[in-house]
Formats: sequence, structure tokens, C-alpha cells
Amino acid sequence: MTRILVVDDEANQRLLYREAFERAGFDVVEAGDARQAVDQVRLELPDLVVLDINMPGVDGLETLTRIHDQRPALPVVLNSAYGGYREQFVSWLADAYVTKSSNVGELIGAVRDVLERRAAQRRGTE
Amino acid sequence: MAGGHGDATLVILLAGGQGERLYPLTKRRAKPAVPFGGTYRIIDFTLANCINSGLRRVYVLTQHKSLSLDRHLRARWSVLSPGLGEFIQTVPPQLSLVSRWYEGNADAVFQNLDILEDERPREVLVVSGDHVYRLDYGRLIQFHRERDAALTVACTEVPVAEATRMGVVEVDARARVTAFHEKPACPTPMPGRPSHALANMGVYLFDTEPLVRALIADAKSESKHDFGFDIIPRIAAERPVFAFDVIERCPPRERYWQDVGTLDSYFDATMDLLQEEPAFELFDADWPAHRHAPAYPPAIMRNAGEHEAGAVNSILAPGCIVSGARIVRSVLSSRVRVERGARVEDSILLPGVQVGAGCELRRVIVDENAVLPPGTRIGYDAEVDRRRFLVTARGIAVVPDGTVLTPAGGR
Repeated sequence: MTRILVVDDEANQRLLYREAFERAGFDVVEAGDARQAVDQVRLELPDLVVLDINMPGVDGLETLTRIHDQRPALPVVLNSAYGGYREQFVSWLADAYVTKSSNVGELIGAVRDVLERRAAQRRGTE
Repeated sequence: MAGGHGDATLVILLAGGQGERLYPLTKRRAKPAVPFGGTYRIIDFTLANCINSGLRRVYVLTQHKSLSLDRHLRARWSVLSPGLGEFIQTVPPQLSLVSRWYEGNADAVFQNLDILEDERPREVLVVSGDHVYRLDYGRLIQFHRERDAALTVACTEVPVAEATRMGVVEVDARARVTAFHEKPACPTPMPGRPSHALANMGVYLFDTEPLVRALIADAKSESKHDFGFDIIPRIAAERPVFAFDVIERCPPRERYWQDVGTLDSYFDATMDLLQEEPAFELFDADWPAHRHAPAYPPAIMRNAGEHEAGAVNSILAPGCIVSGARIVRSVLSSRVRVERGARVEDSILLPGVQVGAGCELRRVIVDENAVLPPGTRIGYDAEVDRRRFLVTARGIAVVPDGTVLTPAGGR
């Protein structure tokens, strides 16, 4: 089963995402901050990361670079209430950028797109 | 410069390579800091191109043995006005984006993405610190903008046989790049000049956005993280990439280009300076290659008894003293001393070298402050030389930095 790591400092948001992704057929693991996120990438070997940007302490963009440092090819979908971060070059390290809304379906759609694109790339290089 | 848009273009000068193919000249210094041409260091020519082209925002990405470069840039290149937003700034690895050393020249720029983030230039000129050439980058910028290119690669025309060790560009009639091959076994000749191929000079002008996208995509994939191997083909597959042929588009004085990344090519480029009609002229008041030279007294040549001093087709830097010795097709850098009866031929003596009386040197590179006692012979017996020194495939012996040979000829 495809495993998604959900990184968000708000427990309610993680819960919302966990339920939605599990209903959509994904396995879900969680992290509440950057450090946990990097640990979970190592321990749980997720297939994709959904990453919040506005977090206290180390923010999502720096978390993105730490994840990249550990697993450069691991797909990441940035998820923020604020769209302005997509102007920052470092945000381009992510495979997609989804603005937070009450519609979790859009996020799940983006995750599926990224996973399909990666699968197609793998087929192309085989 | 031709375009007059220097502020919009940021320069990234790649100076982080280990320079193993120039060893032992790179034993204690970075490759771009290797002395060249009597009073210069290799990096000076690229920096001169930048400053003389009006590009005055230059980041020099360093890594190995960067102290040598830092010192050189501070001593010789403190010529800009930070208050006007001009700088030549060395940048050692920050380890901010990732926690590892540079894994290729494209990775070096990727790891410094925050520079591009902060500066947000219109274009980024990526150049390297191990080429000797003169080029007004303004021409390149104008060409790039007129074609609305995502990337323009400066190229020179080289004989097909030599192109096998370079990046070879295939172009259409409008100079748009249609294919790129790094070190091809069978280089594709140029349209209209079948004896030559169009070779990548390692001078790249990028629009910032396609550069960043290509660097990021490359960083996420398995590759050599190299501009020639990975970044150019990646951009050329999606966006307009053009070749700027310096032979076709520049005046004669801008048609010389030499990679000095190996001992043999370093030697050849030096010898190019010593021709009666040199392909590359150091003296050019319009295009100075450094601004602050150390204040040594003028070079002195004097006879010593029956030994007449003489020098032909040679460069003698300030601070040299040649006493009753003959110098032929050689470069004597600053503070070199050559004593009576010695003969120095087709050789490169770096700063502070002392050549004792009666020495005979032929096709030798002697690194800084080496002391050759009277009667030393190098370059006359390859077997003997190989026992004592590194000798290149083409037979050029290299005496390392600080070597003090004993009079018996040992080390």
C-alpha cells in the first residue's frame, strides 16, 4: 500500500488528512514538526510526503531541504494556506504545491498525479 | 560592454574543482590560483573578462584549498565598490541546503540556490576559473537576448580530432542547438566546416528561471550533476538553446581559448604566450587582466664575467634577476633568480624559484620557491627525470613547490 507521510504542526489537520487519505486507500504516517518528519522519512520509508509550510520552529521549506538531503528523489507535495511561497525557488524542490482548503479531494488528486507522473518516469527509464 | 546591462546579469564563477590533473601545481592551491604567464593566476583572465565586460557582481564558488584563492582575490582584485552593489565574493560550501560537499559543478550552483533567490538576476553567467581566453561577455548577452534564448553556450571551433575530449554542440542554420554530446567518440562536424566541430567553452549564459528548474530537476535525479553532461541536454530538450560561436562572432583578439586543466594544456597555453605573433596577447591596455600587482623592482639581466645574459621569446616578471644565463622560450615569474652559465629553455619557473649556476632546464615546470643547486639538469634524460619527478605523457617534468634538490641531484 502506498504510504503517505503527513507533516503538519496541527493535530486536527493531521487527523483530517489521515481519515481522508485512508478512505482513499493510502497508508498514513504522521509528523508534527521538522525533526519528526526527517525521522519518519528514515524510519517509515514513505512513498510521498505531504508537507505543511507554516510551522513553528523549522518551517516547511527548510524541512523540504532536509528531506531532500536525505532522500533526493522522494516526492513531496507542499500544502499551505498561503500561495506566496511558490515564488521561492526552494519550493520548486517539491513536486506539487496545493493551497490548503476545505476540499481535501484536491490534495488527494495532486498526490495521485505526482505518484502517476513518477511511475510513468520510472517506466520511461526502464 | 556591448549590451550595457551588467546589473541584470549575475556571474557565478566555478572554482571548486580539485584540479587533480594539474597536480602537483594544485598540491597547496586551488586550480584557479595556479600562477600563469609570469604575474597572473589562471582565474585572472576570467575575472578580467567579467570586470572589463561591465559584469561587477561575481560570486566565486570555492571548495578545495580555497585559502589560496581568497588571498589572491583580496590582494589583487579589491577593485570594486561594494557601496555601488559591486563585488567579487568568494563562497565556500555553506552546507545549508544539503550536508555534503559538491558532487559536480551543477551541484555547486544548486547548493547555492539562495544566492539566486536573493539576487533574482535576469540572467546568470556561469563561467569557470580554469580557462585562458578573452571575451566581451556583452556580445554574448546581446546575442542571448536577441534570440530570447533560455541558455546560450559560448563555443569555439576546434579540429574534429581534438573535439573528442570536449563537449560538442550540433546546431541548425540559426545557431540553435539541436544536440549536445559530451566527449563524443565521433564528433559531428560543423555545418559548412567539415574539418572542425563546435566545442563548448564552459561559458554559459542562462535565464534564471530555466537554470533553477534544471538544477532542481537534476538534483532530484541520479546524474553526474555536471553542466555539460546533464544541465545543457536537459534544458535543450525543452527550451531554446543557442550556440555563440566566438570564431564567427568576435574580433580576432577574442578568438583564443585554452583549457588549462591539465599539465600539458597548461604548458601549451604558456607556450602560446611566447610566440613571435602570440595567439593570446597579455598586454592590452583596454583589457587589463589585473589591477594591483605587487611592487617588485624591474627584472634585471646582467652579464657575469664571461657569461653573457640573454633572453628571447620569454616573459620576465618584475623581481627577476638573470645573471649571465640564457633564457629561451620560457616564463620567469616574479622573484626568480637564474645564475651564471645556466640555460633555461621551453620552461616555466613559478615565483621565487632559484636556478643555480650551470643548470640546464628543458621542458620543465618548476613550482614556487624550489631551489635547484648548481649543475642540475632536468629535461635531458626522461628516465632520470622520472625517478625524481612527475613527468607528463608529453615529457614535461614538474618540480613541486618548495623542493630543495641536493647538489648530487637527489632530493
